Amino acid sequence: MANHSSSNLSRAFSDFVTRGVCIAKKDARIYYFKPQIVGFGILIPAFVYLSFSLGREIPPNLLIPGLVGMVSLFGASSIEAIAIPIERQTETWELLQIAPVSTLTIVFGKSLAGSAFGIMLSLITALGAVLLSGSTVTNPLMFVVAVIVGTFTFSALGMLVAAAAKDMPTANISLTALRLPMIFIGGVFMPIQALPLQLRVISYLTPLTYLVEALREAVAGPSIMFAIDAAVLLAWFIVLQSLAVLVLDKRSLTSRITIRSFLGK
Amino acid sequence: MENVIEASNLTKHYGAIKAVDNINLQVRKGEFFGLLGPNGAGKSTTIRMLTSLTKPTSGIVKVTGRDCVTESLAVKQKIGVVSEVSNLYNEMSAWDNLMFVGELYGVERSVRVERAKRLLEVFQLYERRNDRVIGFSKGMKRRVRIAIALLHRPEVLFLDEPTSGLDVQSSRLIRSLVKGLNKEGMTIFLTTHYIDEADQLCDRVAIIRQGKIVVEDSPEKLKSSLQGEHIVEIAFDRNRSDIETLLRADPIVKDVTKEGDKYHVHTGRPSDVIKKMVQFAASNRLEIVSMSTKQPSLEDVFVKCTGLDAVQLERMELLRVVKASGQRG
Repeated sequence: MANHSSSNLSRAFSDFVTRGVCIAKKDARIYYFKPQIVGFGILIPAFVYLSFSLGREIPPNLLIPGLVGMVSLFGASSIEAIAIPIERQTETWELLQIAPVSTLTIVFGKSLAGSAFGIMLSLITALGAVLLSGSTVTNPLMFVVAVIVGTFTFSALGMLVAAAAKDMPTANISLTALRLPMIFIGGVFMPIQALPLQLRVISYLTPLTYLVEALREAVAGPSIMFAIDAAVLLAWFIVLQSLAVLVLDKRSLTSRITIRSFLGK
Repeated sequence: MENVIEASNLTKHYGAIKAVDNINLQVRKGEFFGLLGPNGAGKSTTIRMLTSLTKPTSGIVKVTGRDCVTESLAVKQKIGVVSEVSNLYNEMSAWDNLMFVGELYGVERSVRVERAKRLLEVFQLYERRNDRVIGFSKGMKRRVRIAIALLHRPEVLFLDEPTSGLDVQSSRLIRSLVKGLNKEGMTIFLTTHYIDEADQLCDRVAIIRQGKIVVEDSPEKLKSSLQGEHIVEIAFDRNRSDIETLLRADPIVKDVTKEGDKYHVHTGRPSDVIKKMVQFAASNRLEIVSMSTKQPSLEDVFVKCTGLDAVQLERMELLRVVKASGQRG
């Protein structure tokens, strides 16, 4: 009996992962891995960073985490904000809904695609920054773990915003409105210890802060704080992903009737 | 024979709107079932509840013996759904669309390759399998969409307006294909605006109006329910605005509808009506261009049950197509 239920559970988990990966591969192919998208994914955060850091002496232990944190945020969150409204508009979203996959599987698959894209951009950026600055990352494994957890979190953030927004422009504006303040108070350009107390408190409410801190600990050397930062990021991921599932489930019940009412059907 | 679709006291509210009102439906295994109704009657909401896309407000709905609410993933694994819109990934080829959906349904790679090849051959698309679907005509896209719905070998196929807006050739091909699938034993649940299509294809139809099923039977039995009612179709050489009123004034005429340049005179006494039409034409200096009698059609049953006439139906279909084009364009 116990063996039977354990085998069912293992099959359900295997289906969840396989079908999630199938959605991720499809999204990667259609929306992500195109030269112009990859180019913009690295160039935009790099230009933003340079425009705020040029002329200032920023030590590599601040530069690499800040830049990589920003690339992770932009890279992992941007594309689903476009992809989900497009899928709703072309009604391919319904192709996913009528398939035997749960909303959680769909969200997982899409987060996986966003995360893979964010990881790729972040690691390219990190490699470039290390080579150009001549600095080193003390613990590369911790660095990669932080990037993975961070990009999953930001991908889930993009999913949630796209799920809640009525169309693509609204999703993009909402995401920008969330990301810009996060960059300024998340320790990207300066350590959060240098921020005024009120901003420091707010900065601890944003996931980017924990990624930048975790990356800083990976660059500087092992610290117990890394585990805490990674755990908080993981908690953010679970919360954002769960909210995205809830919003998508709720919207799937109402959006269709709105579209159909408009079509007069 | 076992029922593969069973809905009991199915009701769906959207806020204050009651989209589906306490309907009961049974569809037997291997049956070709049609759900007909005017726009906004509750067809789409019903099909969404039967395909586990929407939860009913109350009532029970089972497909292939599984509860659509509590076992929705198991239900989705057993059904194929073709929505009115050919929702495909335009950037991908027909082949890749099939492979993606096959993988999503858990069909093994070797099996889905073999089935996709066979389906695309049957649907006359194999030569175009590697072309991106963005370049396909509406009829070709619809064929790919149906092929996708069949790849995992569903027990029940739900078709929502499968031939809407298609050219005659594509419509005929799709009708012939779905009829073939039904002959092979697949249960098919169809919604359509084309009453003739339902008449040709369905073993049984239900007509839904304002969320309630008003009638349900085989097309022939429904037509015979109107027996005793005949239609005399007549066209005059000139159009006069008062013809309809003058025709209606006769007590043996039950109803008059105008379709194009022809008048449909509904009556229980066709021979008397024919005689009177000849007299009517002579006294009003009109010439009869054509005159014939017709048996009631399924459309007449539909009109009687829904209270809509053919012109209203055409207007609604046109409005729907125009709005749909605007939305997608």
